[in-house]
Amino acid sequence: MSEKQARITDIGPPHHDKFLPPVIKENYGKWKYHENPRPGVLVHVSHSGAKIWSVRCATPRILSVISIRKICELADKYADGYLRFTSRNNFELLITKEANVDPAIKEAIAIGYPVGGTGNSLSNIVHTQGWVHCHSAATDASGVVKAVMDELFVHFQEQKLPAKLRIALACCLNMCGAVHCSDISILGVHRRPPKADDANLGKICEVPNLIASCPTAAIRPTTKNGVATVEIEEEKCMFCANCYTVCPALPINDALNDGVSIWVGGKVSNARSTPSFSKLAIPWLPNTPPRWPEVVSAVKNIVDVWAKDARPYERVGEWVSRIGWPRFFKKTGIEFTKHHIDDFKHCGGTFATSTQMRHNG
Amino acid sequence: MSDELKINVEGVGELAVDEDGFIEDPGKWSEAVAKHLAGTEGVTELSEDHWKLVNYLRNYYMEFNIAPMIRKLCKETGFNLKKVYELFPSGPAKGACKVAGLPKPTGCV
Amino acid sequence: MTDNVKKHETPLLDELLKGPWPSFVKEFKTLQDKKAVANDLLGQLEYSYKTKLGYWKHGGIVGVMGYGGGVIGRYSSLAEMFPAVKHFHTIRVNQPAGWFYTSKALRTLCDIWEKRGSGITNMHGSTGDIVFLGTNTEELEPIFEELTKEGFDLGGSGSNLRTPSCCNGQARCEWACYDTMGLCYDLTQTFQDELHRPQFPYKFKIKMAGCPNDCVASIARSDLSIIGTWRDNIQMDQSAVLKYASDGLDIQKIVVMNCPTKCLDWNGKELKIDNSNCVKCMHCINVMPKALAPGKDRGATVLLGSKAPIIEGAMLSSVLIPFIKLEPPFKELKDVIGRIWEPWAEHGKNRERIGEFIERVGKGNFLEEVGIDPVPEMVKHPRENPYIFYDEYLEDE
Ligand code: HEM
Ligand code: HEM
Ligand code: HEM
Ligand code: HEM
Ligand code: SF4
Ligand code: SF4
Ligand code: SF4
Ligand code: SF4
Repeated sequence: MSEKQARITDIGPPHHDKFLPPVIKENYGKWKYHENPRPGVLVHVSHSGAKIWSVRCATPRILSVISIRKICELADKYADGYLRFTSRNNFELLITKEANVDPAIKEAIAIGYPVGGTGNSLSNIVHTQGWVHCHSAATDASGVVKAVMDELFVHFQEQKLPAKLRIALACCLNMCGAVHCSDISILGVHRRPPKADDANLGKICEVPNLIASCPTAAIRPTTKNGVATVEIEEEKCMFCANCYTVCPALPINDALNDGVSIWVGGKVSNARSTPSFSKLAIPWLPNTPPRWPEVVSAVKNIVDVWAKDARPYERVGEWVSRIGWPRFFKKTGIEFTKHHIDDFKHCGGTFATSTQMRHNG
Repeated sequence: MSDELKINVEGVGELAVDEDGFIEDPGKWSEAVAKHLAGTEGVTELSEDHWKLVNYLRNYYMEFNIAPMIRKLCKETGFNLKKVYELFPSGPAKGACKVAGLPKPTGCV
Repeated sequence: MTDNVKKHETPLLDELLKGPWPSFVKEFKTLQDKKAVANDLLGQLEYSYKTKLGYWKHGGIVGVMGYGGGVIGRYSSLAEMFPAVKHFHTIRVNQPAGWFYTSKALRTLCDIWEKRGSGITNMHGSTGDIVFLGTNTEELEPIFEELTKEGFDLGGSGSNLRTPSCCNGQARCEWACYDTMGLCYDLTQTFQDELHRPQFPYKFKIKMAGCPNDCVASIARSDLSIIGTWRDNIQMDQSAVLKYASDGLDIQKIVVMNCPTKCLDWNGKELKIDNSNCVKCMHCINVMPKALAPGKDRGATVLLGSKAPIIEGAMLSSVLIPFIKLEPPFKELKDVIGRIWEPWAEHGKNRERIGEFIERVGKGNFLEEVGIDPVPEMVKHPRENPYIFYDEYLEDE
């Protein structure tokens, strides 16, 4: 190797053409329709008559290289080495021979990758890093996801829900997992104001940026023991942790107060109703590792009530629009509290301003 | 901050740094410190242009207590982004801010 | 490598080995014998489970030469107990469009990552990148060299263009109204400098979905959402509609009554669509994919500004261009992207997403700045308050 080899930079990702199975290359943009012969399998049919079967398998998102190689073996054996991952952390074997579909399903399940997530089912939970990798986490991500999916597993395998069910989890309000438009969102929340590390704050943080970072203007500059630091007006703090994002000397994580909130009724697709945010269902549940039983049963309860009550193709939010929020709380048995009433900027628009109500029901 | 990481700067003595090599107390910065830190960022020699950038960052920080946004930096030094990366290959945030003794940049990754 | 290292006991995490869903704990355990870093990661995570707190220090700043993003510095605050995760940096690797791979390409990535890092990945991160979780500062340059030699490059992080991502579009979906993967690749290549060298007030994400189903959640998860749609009539095969009916589909209840604009009419023999009132929501097509399809005059709606709550509250993207044709080389779109970046990059405040910027300066003013005419498609309804800002007023001579 020569000493001064030209460094390769700015090449971008490899072109996807290199990774497409021949049947996709030949039929790119020429697909006519698809069918869903069984849960977890889609077959796309081209105008030319060509077909491709996709077998969707769940992963825990965290994958070791050892598991990825096992998945590669599966792809080699049944799909000529072609596969893709989905936007919700599943992988799909791209199979051209129908006879390979059933054995592929069998083997995927046998080595630990369940098949499902298509049609009116629950797909994988989009989630974030949690205690596995992030400083900001108010809860773990992977552990909660695992516990919830274990409980709701049947809905991944079957397609018997009224509509698609999309659950997302983010371990803090930064919401790297982008949870705010899901049927059910699981969101880690802090509940104790940050405590300034006065001795170091002035040295390691940019105080003007720190003050500007607070959405409620709760942070003021001050001096303690002769050093510049900041003071938090605790009654103004809504625990967003934005200040901590810009300044490590304002730790906010707290074992006693951190926990999990549950939001419902959002969606991103434009089908029927327009995309919408999820709304608060449960402000706080405790962090109870390793299996978060309170969170699991709260999510299961909402899913059960919705699955029983919704009409076909009614997503959680569409169901609530039809029956109304009062009845959502009544049917799920979830308590409505003052925390459910918005008190941030522009909150007035969320107050009820009509006499229309379902008193008798 | 519990880690006892230190650098030894000739003529200055020991200075505490964090894992990424940013000095922990921006008040302890000096030109000698800058020269030392430049070495850790693959800059062997601080040219006039390097100093122009470092001094701009330093003065901005002393005045406003924050680092300037990248556009402002380019505009006010007259260096385009390409030039900034030529001067500090590890980039304006990791390279130039470190050498200028500013606090470690934070924000959303 | 870790023969003489004691395996950490993980009674709490072991509970997560149980149950039918694939277990992330198992992923760490498969590497525990081979990699000290997997063992210490398990140890630290078990400690988090015991104490209900995370133990990662606030983000570090590390990277490769010439780039300002792509690597996220991460250090353990329990390095004395778990030395192998003292450094545990993340590398974001730009995924191929649509997340298509061959097993050969995946194995190449695995080999690099097993040699130079923890062997633990996320397939994929929520922006779309392949995420390599956990390596040392010294390994960063070698990993970068080995990745680029194999044709892979880093993704974005920090205040730059983040790795664009897209649905699988025309590769495997009959509803794709433009070539999402082609556009994704093209934009990623066109904007390499913006991707690798932060130059914006804050992050900027682009996501591309082929149709209004929006399988990549672009309307919620990207500053620039490019969502396929059409502007002529839905294509219909009347005999296939009848087949759905005779197979037992209640067309009135499931399809017609769910149409948001009541533009479907079914008399038991024929389905009629008032296409002039169809808002292209996809519902009827989703239910009867063999009978209905998007029209032939296809393109996309371009929307701008979605973001998570931080700082001023969550936003969905809102309409910038109601309809645009998207054919290579996508000149018009690229031109628009350049024009929307300019005022934001110039006047945006530190850590102000473009959606917040537009709210601050006013969407009307923003449109004027980027040279796009206001049209009613851009709003849910005209303003309700009378607080109108006029730029100038008349005065007597
Ligand atoms: C009321 C409840 C909310 C619901 C139901 C909700 C739901 C969602 C959903 C479904 C997504 C896309 C998720 C996916 O499909 O992966 C999303 C993304 C996101 N949400 Fe929310 N969300 C809510 C509130 C919020 C709030 C309060 C914030 C911020 C303060 C927020 C910030 C975000 C962000 C940042 C994204 C990703 C956007 C991006 O990629 O930049 N959400 N949300
Ligand atoms: C507003 C402030 C935000 C901050 C301070 C923040 C901070 C972080 C941090 C520290 C990590 C690293 C986790 C790790 O160590 O691996 C991370 C990862 C990530 N963040 Fe954010 N984040 C923010 C918002 C967002 C939003 C709005 C999105 C997307 C919509 C996002 C997407 C991601 C992604 C994709 C990752 C990679 C890991 C993953 O997929 O879980 N972040 N973020
Ligand atoms: C019957 C109609 C639909 C078809 C044929 C369809 C097709 C697809 C395809 C091909 C994917 C893989 C996309 C990718 O990862 O790039 C996908 C994923 C997805 N689609 Fe759709 N889609 C349909 C309707 C919808 C609707 C109505 C929604 C939302 C309301 C939706 C939400 C999603 C989500 C969240 C994913 C990620 C799925 C996963 O990983 O399991 N889809 N869909
Ligand atoms: C475009 C701006 C607006 C126009 C042109 C407008 C015009 C009017 C007019 C002509 C009336 C009837 C007065 C009457 O019957 O004697 C009225 C009444 C009223 N307007 Fe507005 N209005 C506007 C905006 C608003 C807004 C933004 C609000 C509140 C948010 C508002 C609240 C009311 C109320 C409460 C009344 C009833 C007053 C009463 O009967 O005593 N208006 N407005
Ligand atoms: S959501 Fe919060 S805690 Fe979770 S990975 Fe993102 S920044 Fe970290
Ligand atoms: S947590 Fe949020 S509200 Fe509380 S002080 Fe920090 S920035 Fe302000
Ligand atoms: S967004 Fe539309 S075109 Fe893209 S995969 Fe989903 S259904 Fe198909
Ligand atoms: S696409 Fe939606 S709006 Fe259009 S006809 Fe079908 S259901 Fe109605």
